[in-house]
Amino acid sequence: MIEAFLFAMFGAGAIAFALGMVFRRNPVHCALHLVGVLLSVSGMFVLLNAQFIAAIQILVYAGAIMVLFLFVVMLLNVRGETPLLTPGAAKGFGFFFALIGFVELLWVVLSRGGDEAVPERLPALPSGFGSPAEIGRVLYSTWLFPFEVTSILLLIAVVGAVVLAKRKFF
Amino acid sequence: MDTAFFLVTSLVKVLIVLGFVLLGVPLIVWMERKVLGHMQDRIGPQRVGPYGLLQTIADGIKLFFKEDVIPAQADRVVFFIAPALSVITAFAALSVVPFGDTVRVLGRDVPLYVADVNVAILWVLGTTSMGVYGIVLGGWASNSKYPLLGGLRSSAQMISYELAQGISLVSVILMAGTLSLTAIVKQQEHLWYIVPQFFAFAIYLTCGIAETNRAPFDLPEAETELVAGFHTEFSSMKFALYFLAEYANMMVVSAIAISVFLGGWRGPFLPPVVWFLIKLTLFLFFYIWLRATFPRLRYDQLMSFGWKVLLPASLLNLTVTALVVALGQG
Repeated sequence: MIEAFLFAMFGAGAIAFALGMVFRRNPVHCALHLVGVLLSVSGMFVLLNAQFIAAIQILVYAGAIMVLFLFVVMLLNVRGETPLLTPGAAKGFGFFFALIGFVELLWVVLSRGGDEAVPERLPALPSGFGSPAEIGRVLYSTWLFPFEVTSILLLIAVVGAVVLAKRKFF
Repeated sequence: MDTAFFLVTSLVKVLIVLGFVLLGVPLIVWMERKVLGHMQDRIGPQRVGPYGLLQTIADGIKLFFKEDVIPAQADRVVFFIAPALSVITAFAALSVVPFGDTVRVLGRDVPLYVADVNVAILWVLGTTSMGVYGIVLGGWASNSKYPLLGGLRSSAQMISYELAQGISLVSVILMAGTLSLTAIVKQQEHLWYIVPQFFAFAIYLTCGIAETNRAPFDLPEAETELVAGFHTEFSSMKFALYFLAEYANMMVVSAIAISVFLGGWRGPFLPPVVWFLIKLTLFLFFYIWLRATFPRLRYDQLMSFGWKVLLPASLLNLTVTALVVALGQG
């Protein structure tokens, strides 16, 4: 009962913040709404018994990455920028990508065809589910390859950022 | 019945921690003024109440009744949220600190912490990193030069020092094998972690002082260059909230240092809660002592100290700890 209430609260919060992020004009307000989305999602992680991921979500995304985002948005003062696309073209692109997303979702839902009924009773969680130790074990055994690839990807991004920052083109 | 008991005790504990911070902060401010006074060969506040004890209460009441000025060009909503965010994050961090052993109430065990989160240390780091928003947004929402510069400085400083702070805590986590503060305190029955992890402690404390924007790292509010930094435009209760948040954050840093490195509430003879308070007072005295002793760092010195000294040192400490722990297990 309490769980359902909390889920509704976090879910509604996430959706409301996401809408705010899309519709607000001021970029700083958008960034703040995104922080709201991240915090709501972190609340859902707690409900899903994944406290570690919830904490990491707050620490890394809401705490570190979004602060940097906010920093950049504040310093660039985006309000004065000329938009990349004309409003009509932006709407066209937006509609196109939204359509792709919708078709994809529809395809996934239809191809499943409802053959997977929701079980009455969910199986019990394995012991240590969501604990840091268990996440570490899975990350360094089953998902080792994606993990390493991600680290290389991040390294490339860091090197790229340094190269771009060093080049004096203005 | 059990649920009701849990709810009631939790509520009482929340009120205790909240009241402790709200009453403790005026006391710390009084202590700061008194200690600073004596260190500078003055006597400090002495007019209001015995030994000037009620001075900060009087100041608080004065702030409460002052006019709340909002700059014309300010972003009103964010201007409102920012000081509140600072205070909320500080209180949220305190909720996981164990301040005493289990006590028996009405024949039931009541542990003395508000919440035992099994990822308590991450929770503390997360809330402190959210605390940056209070400052950076306060600076931005004022829509004025000095606050913006102060806010940017302060958030750059906090982000830089958070890294080394987190890594210094990780080396203790490696030794303890848990992220729960209560479990870490339990493990320090025979040996406080300050002994094997002295370097981590030194790094943590330095970063903690920088995190709370206190002297000698109080550049965000360097009067001579930035007026009052991010809170220049804040008046009345909004200013008081920032003030409260700064001192509450000092308490958070001290309480975490006590729990992780100094055995938490452990100590001989006296009751656990008293030991916790003694240690907390010593830490806060240390803060004030630093303020009276050291001149402010220059901004570039501050940044290079954080990135070129503290971060490599904490990484080295982590590597050595990891090696020792791994060899000890294998």
